[in-house]
Amino acid sequence: MPLENHEKARFLLHRALVEGISLEDRRWLDAHVGQCAECGRYADLSARAVRALDWFALELDPAAALRVENIVRSRAEEMRSAESRAKSLWIGTGVAIFLTFTGSAVTWRTLAWLASQWNLPSRVWQIGFAAFWLLPSLLLALLPLFRRRLLGEHSDSKGQTI
Amino acid sequence: MVAVVTAFSRVAESESQCIARALRRRDSEFIGRIVSQYHYRLLRYLVYWTSRRELAEDLVQETWLRVLERAGQYNGRLRFEPWLFSIARNLAIDHLRKQQTATHRMCREDEAGVDLPAPDFESPFFAAARSEDAKRIAAALGALEPIYREALLLRFQEELSLAEIAQVAGAPISTVSSRIHRGLSMLQAALGGGADAA
Repeated sequence: MPLENHEKARFLLHRALVEGISLEDRRWLDAHVGQCAECGRYADLSARAVRALDWFALELDPAAALRVENIVRSRAEEMRSAESRAKSLWIGTGVAIFLTFTGSAVTWRTLAWLASQWNLPSRVWQIGFAAFWLLPSLLLALLPLFRRRLLGEHSDSKGQTI
Repeated sequence: MVAVVTAFSRVAESESQCIARALRRRDSEFIGRIVSQYHYRLLRYLVYWTSRRELAEDLVQETWLRVLERAGQYNGRLRFEPWLFSIARNLAIDHLRKQQTATHRMCREDEAGVDLPAPDFESPFFAAARSEDAKRIAAALGALEPIYREALLLRFQEELSLAEIAQVAGAPISTVSSRIHRGLSMLQAALGGGADAA
């Protein structure tokens, strides 16, 4: 039997195990393996090698498995809580900034009207508006974002507050 | 047949998308279930990588915590297993690299006369071997490099496709195929196919 037939058979045997072969190749291979004792033994050895991997079943420790499950579950809950708090914080900050600007617009118009009633120079009431209304409002609106730093809180590598 | 495969792939896809959603929402109940569902397979994969049962168990927990941290990176379009195993793989490699660095440092200390602890692990493959043939296979598996053991496990026990194994291993499909072939040849040699080894 030509050597190339054996080489082809071993190539197809390997390929059949690893990624599959066409029906035509399968028929050729089955026919060859049926006739060639050496390739038949090689095929049998290949199949046994694959089956041998099933001999190694690990024994599971149920307590250890449950411990891992509980740890991961707890961590998921912590992350969900932290993300929920962060979301509320951003929403609150957004609302505060919005109210700052809308409130500022109303205040601006009110001050402009009062200034016109009292004949105050524009520069005076505008500077007063910036110093005593706009800046403090913005700072208060942004305060929650810097709460942690101001209170000396830090997060550890797992995102928990310490 | 094509219709069955398509239907099956749709079901599998839905499961992946459920997992992706649960991870993003941090659904602790669902996450607990998938931890339980994949525990054995993940442990087995890490044992095949590290050959150390205790280390593999530690890495299982670390893998899941890393999965939680990176939940946003999994969109459920592909199967969950390749993504899970690739995270486990990276953790195992990082750990083994740190161990190698520590060993080199210890070797330098040894030159100064410090006693080094002897390696004390028993191969989990030997521990699981129940027959003489199994012990021969265990020896062959223990002698294989992790990348060959990994290829064998993912192909023949996890039944991942070559493309999925390539995704996990970060290697081309041709390389994966070669690794499977190499691993099989070693096992064949252990079973008595010595003429065809290597």
